[in-house]
Amino acid sequence: MDNETPAPDPADNRLPGLLQKFDEATRTLAQAPGFAKPAKLARVLDTARRVMLQPGGCAAIEERSQALEEAGLYHGSDWATPQILVPSLTTHSLKSPDMTTVVIESLSELRLLAVARGDYLHPLISQEQAHHYLSQVLAMNLALLFTGPSEAERETQGRLAKVPRLLLQHLASRIGYEHVIDRLIEEIWRILHQRPIQVDSVKQMITQIAICQVDPDIDLGTSGQGADRLVSSLYGPTQSCREDPGVAVFADRLRAMDSQALQLEATGFARAMHDTGLVSPYHAVLLRHLMGQGDHLIGEALGLSSTGRDCLLCYRELVKDLIREAVHPTTPQSVYGLALMLERGILYQPAVAPSLWRQLALPLSPCSRDRLFMAYGDLASPRALLLEGVLCMLGQPLGVGQGNNPTCQSARALSMWAFNDPDYLLQMVAWAARDDEIIMHFEGQPISSRESLSGVAGELPMDLDAVSLLVVPHLDRIYAEMGRRCVDRGGDPHRWVNPEFHGWWSGRGFRINVDVGTGLLVDLEDFLRHFYASYHPYYNGNQPLIHPQPAGIAVTDSAGRFIGWHAITILRVALDPEDCMRVYFFNPNNDSGQDWGDGVTVSTAGNGERFGEGSLPFEQFASRLYIFHHDPLERGELADVSAEELDRVIDHIRRSWGAERLPENQLQADPGPQRG
Amino acid sequence: MEKNPSKGYVALLGWSLNAIEAAETFDRRYVVVAPDWAEDYCKKYDIPYIPWDYERLNDRSMEIAQTLQEMGVDVAIPLFEETVEWAGAINSVLMDNPRLLGQSMLMRDKSLMKRRAQLGGIRVGIFEEAHDREDVIRFLKRVNQTLLKLDGDPNDPIHFKAFDKAGCLGHRVIRTPDDVDAIPDDEFPALMESHLDGWEFAVEAWIHNGKIRFLNISEYVTLGYSVFVPASPELERYRDLIAKQIEKLIRTFDIEFGFVHPEYFVTSDDEMYFGEVAFRPPGFKVFELLERVYGFNAYQAMILVFDPKSTEEEITSFFPKEVVDAKRHAGCFGVYPRRRVVSKLEIPEETEDHPYFESHELTPPLEETVTKRTAFGTHWGLVYFAGEDPHQLRDLLKRQEELDFYI
Repeated sequence: MDNETPAPDPADNRLPGLLQKFDEATRTLAQAPGFAKPAKLARVLDTARRVMLQPGGCAAIEERSQALEEAGLYHGSDWATPQILVPSLTTHSLKSPDMTTVVIESLSELRLLAVARGDYLHPLISQEQAHHYLSQVLAMNLALLFTGPSEAERETQGRLAKVPRLLLQHLASRIGYEHVIDRLIEEIWRILHQRPIQVDSVKQMITQIAICQVDPDIDLGTSGQGADRLVSSLYGPTQSCREDPGVAVFADRLRAMDSQALQLEATGFARAMHDTGLVSPYHAVLLRHLMGQGDHLIGEALGLSSTGRDCLLCYRELVKDLIREAVHPTTPQSVYGLALMLERGILYQPAVAPSLWRQLALPLSPCSRDRLFMAYGDLASPRALLLEGVLCMLGQPLGVGQGNNPTCQSARALSMWAFNDPDYLLQMVAWAARDDEIIMHFEGQPISSRESLSGVAGELPMDLDAVSLLVVPHLDRIYAEMGRRCVDRGGDPHRWVNPEFHGWWSGRGFRINVDVGTGLLVDLEDFLRHFYASYHPYYNGNQPLIHPQPAGIAVTDSAGRFIGWHAITILRVALDPEDCMRVYFFNPNNDSGQDWGDGVTVSTAGNGERFGEGSLPFEQFASRLYIFHHDPLERGELADVSAEELDRVIDHIRRSWGAERLPENQLQADPGPQRG
Repeated sequence: MEKNPSKGYVALLGWSLNAIEAAETFDRRYVVVAPDWAEDYCKKYDIPYIPWDYERLNDRSMEIAQTLQEMGVDVAIPLFEETVEWAGAINSVLMDNPRLLGQSMLMRDKSLMKRRAQLGGIRVGIFEEAHDREDVIRFLKRVNQTLLKLDGDPNDPIHFKAFDKAGCLGHRVIRTPDDVDAIPDDEFPALMESHLDGWEFAVEAWIHNGKIRFLNISEYVTLGYSVFVPASPELERYRDLIAKQIEKLIRTFDIEFGFVHPEYFVTSDDEMYFGEVAFRPPGFKVFELLERVYGFNAYQAMILVFDPKSTEEEITSFFPKEVVDAKRHAGCFGVYPRRRVVSKLEIPEETEDHPYFESHELTPPLEETVTKRTAFGTHWGLVYFAGEDPHQLRDLLKRQEELDFYI
């Protein structure tokens, strides 16, 4: 039998010719001595790019993965150690305007595909690991799989934008769509469990799933079943809007319902909202409808407990005004923010309710309106957007994220104020949104955000929630200015900046275990004993942490390598359900669930965490800590921590960010576990 | 690669990664003689290295020859125009042959070189030395008078080449007194030549024991822009004539071994005019092209013909047969931005989609404003092509001149 397909028209089929060039480029790279390899890379990568653009190109490269890696393509780069690659980073690298980054990332995925298929036995990563990794990559980049290039991508990437799409299509067809969807659902739940304020990207991913589910060309098999709750929470949480009828139809249906039917609707919506942290636009329609129906149903629709209900009844006029102004189908998350704010009982603090009245009437400066418009468009009024942001921040203080900006300090401050000092936060919002200026004091001297030149962030950040969008640029400049005022002091400026910037409750006592001049570790043991004495209930007289405290973390990657210094908030130290002492903390980085290497994986759920908290066992946390604050008047004895426990902590440091920071004499004094 | 101690030990004068790579993967021992900025790199990658400052002439100059001699180095190979006379000086010590220095000095001075060629019976155009702009004006006038031009007729151009610059650097075409004013002071003294309406081409020849071992003809599509090898059949039909010219050159300059890179014109009556000759690898990456066409490494070929310990068999088996053994034709095009303001690099689709397109060495623009080209200037990077048909390749290279790579 003749199975040969007719050869395609040679003019259309450039693949064989390109592959010949590609193989030659690979051979040149393979033959070059180490120092000459970098000069050969450009030709390999550029040819690879052209191969991938051809039909069958990705498959051809997949076949050549091993030869390519052995030629030294990944030599000296992160891709040389595929076991530490982080799937979420591919969303950036695949959209990079830089050809090299896009292509080397793509080649690496194709290589892992060969590993996952069992065609390439890789010394560093197993077939299962590779498979797992690729499923995540697909999930993260689902949008690339199903949509054409956006205007922005076309502008930055040009023809290059086709490469990641062809790559993902190839991956999906080889790995199978069902793995993609299930992994994506898992991922969404993991993120939602941290209850972020910004849920746009989650909503996008859910929408992608919903599209896949109804597309007859995509066979999801048995997968994707866990998506129902997610899809329905956005598009049809209750019986009366199950089929996603549109807001107008739904409003008509509500008008025809009696109070018993409305009651059912209200509990249905509330359950969906509290299950996922996502709010359907229908929910906003319902709440507005219930305004004319009585407080009881509003409480039901918000899913309030007795605390929240009590608060609602005490401040019913304020709450109704907030609903009227903030809750619209285009600002549905305000419902969740409102519910959680009421649950927190913060309205009982005398200054909060009046501050919210001010917020309701607050005139926004033209500049604030512009920024809100630029970030969110005109689907809702700037005032409603900001109110939604305020409600969400007050309801979810641990849902603040810094976006893709180096402004962890400002995000941490906003979160801390929302958590601990809500009327102060509202004051900041008023100044920023109305006056375009915030003035803070540093050691008695006023610092205006207008006069300070520049902040930590080079450009104005845009990918933020509405409150951060307006306030962070001011805070960032003030924070940077405070730092500038400390430049000629010896030591780390956070000693003085943190208490002045965050609030009086930040301890004026300060410990750091890194010598600022040399970058080497100093007084490690004292530092740790002091940290135990200040924070560990077994060593501080069983005193729970009273106020959230700023702290500094040495962030490491999944291979334990130092990445950078990062600002977090220590929230509490307590026993988890397994009776392990854990530190619960807030990380302004958008996703707290991070693998810091050497077995240190930050948990965000399942170990007693509240929404938005990350947690680590006390020892592991101590091993990444480099700055903490304490009350200098309460400084007691250094904790009598056992030598074994301290050794475990120090070993963690030694194996990760401290590897190259140990002072030399210490290395000599302590031979350490060199053998074995 | 495993080094063979019974073979020669060579010193590479100047910094060229491609040359080092070739030496590293060849069986000869080698040492790189380069300025001290190369030291960290060499240490990092274990590249044998001696620091030397070629710019500074002082009484320590003998030192480098002695150092190399003590190390047991057999021969020094120049990689750049600036190291040609250093190689001559060093080799005259290493090989105890003072004539080598004189020979290299001839190669460095375009005027002496021409006179010597003329004395050897090689045809050259009208040429003269210029020490200042006056000389240039006078020469321009005189050349055009000989051509029986009237005042007001457009002048025939003359070529102006700074004495000690390589290739297209410092090569200017002068037509008017305004062009003369534009010459910067540091390009004097210079050689001036009449313009020959002919076909210009370059030759790369590897010489061992006074004989040509491999002769390549590089065909320029447009001087300063593009070149390809092997040449088209129309130019290759002069191969025998060209080989005779090179043999004349070898006799005239008394070349026993090494590598020469001369340029010639062939006029419509099949007459060959000698342009100039260099004693170092050509600038326009012809070595790279040769490797893509024949598969041998041209730097290794240089090491081979310079090494006094190379045997006859080694040489014969190393070099392929010219033209016959060529797997294809390969050419490259030097990209100059055509716009005054550019923001990014974008390879034209028609270039990229052409089956002859191989690769490019272009990098994104570092600055947005393009400086005006002086003389022939320096291109921003090369684009490589390869294919079966020399005419298609030639037209393709020509076509690139009309395309924007930087927009």
